[in-house]
Amino acid sequence: MVTMHIPDIFIPLWQSAIYWVIALIFIALALRWARNELDDEKVPLIAVLAAGIFAIQAFNLPVGMGTTGHLVGGALAAILLGSPYAAVFILTLVLLVQAIVFGDGGITTMGANIINMGVIGGFVGFYTYKGLMGVIGNVYLSAGIAAWFACLIPALCASVEMFLAGTFPLVEGMIAMGAYHAAIGIIEAVITAGAIYLIAAARPDMMKTVEGVAA
Amino acid sequence: MMDTKQFLVAGVVVALLIGVTAVFFAAGDPDGLESTALVVQGVKDLTGPTPEDADPEAVGQDVGFEYEAPMPDYTMGEDAGKMGEVVAVVAGTLLALLLVLGVGKAVTASKH
Repeated sequence: MVTMHIPDIFIPLWQSAIYWVIALIFIALALRWARNELDDEKVPLIAVLAAGIFAIQAFNLPVGMGTTGHLVGGALAAILLGSPYAAVFILTLVLLVQAIVFGDGGITTMGANIINMGVIGGFVGFYTYKGLMGVIGNVYLSAGIAAWFACLIPALCASVEMFLAGTFPLVEGMIAMGAYHAAIGIIEAVITAGAIYLIAAARPDMMKTVEGVAA
Repeated sequence: MMDTKQFLVAGVVVALLIGVTAVFFAAGDPDGLESTALVVQGVKDLTGPTPEDADPEAVGQDVGFEYEAPMPDYTMGEDAGKMGEVVAVVAGTLLALLLVLGVGKAVTASKH
């Protein structure tokens, strides 16, 4: 199994430190969200969601161009739980396990990975979903399109970070990251919409913002 | 509607099944970030195949720190093979579950 979040050697320490500071601010906000929103009933449910996100991140699917991709899950967590901070909370802990136990993503670069997949993925996914629901009103279509953007936008941000780090050239990096994640985003879209359907059928009460789901 | 216990058990079973299936059926090609690292090295065309011996991390730099994980790349070493990968993904899935459970409980307990 080969997957990779940003490893230690891709970002100079001083830049990694800046990303960690920004990430910690969002982690603090995510903990405040958890304190306000979670209760004894909901904690096990988000724990299961985290386990599912961890497992499915190991499942790379071919997307052509000699490349594979997998679900990240930030949009899914944010849409299901009705807050981008849910994505920050869950993805931070999943990334922690991945980095410390499996070396998937660095320790110094974990802040950057949290910002990209948890913060940017969560916010882009959640607000794109909310906006689209107001326009097209279909839960699964809105969630799918939101998930696609929640895959593409963090990848483009990562390519800028890689440019600032001196690891990727700007234009070539953005074109490749954009092309690959536009394709990988289709996986993110289909699985996000499918998972929302299944979870809504099993536990309609879990869906905070997902209204109008037949369950 | 499933009750919470059923949902939890079903959820964990589905997660473990996905993880174990991934060990045997996940595609082996590099992911988006790795592929990009190969493209910028000039060893892979944007839409072309990935060479066997390509190393995405070759674009990295010596930043003075590199962490060594106990189960790198979701394996338990070459000798443990696929079974080692199954153990790794099961352990990781359960760790993610327990960590969120633990942090979630600590956070909710702090408001009482």
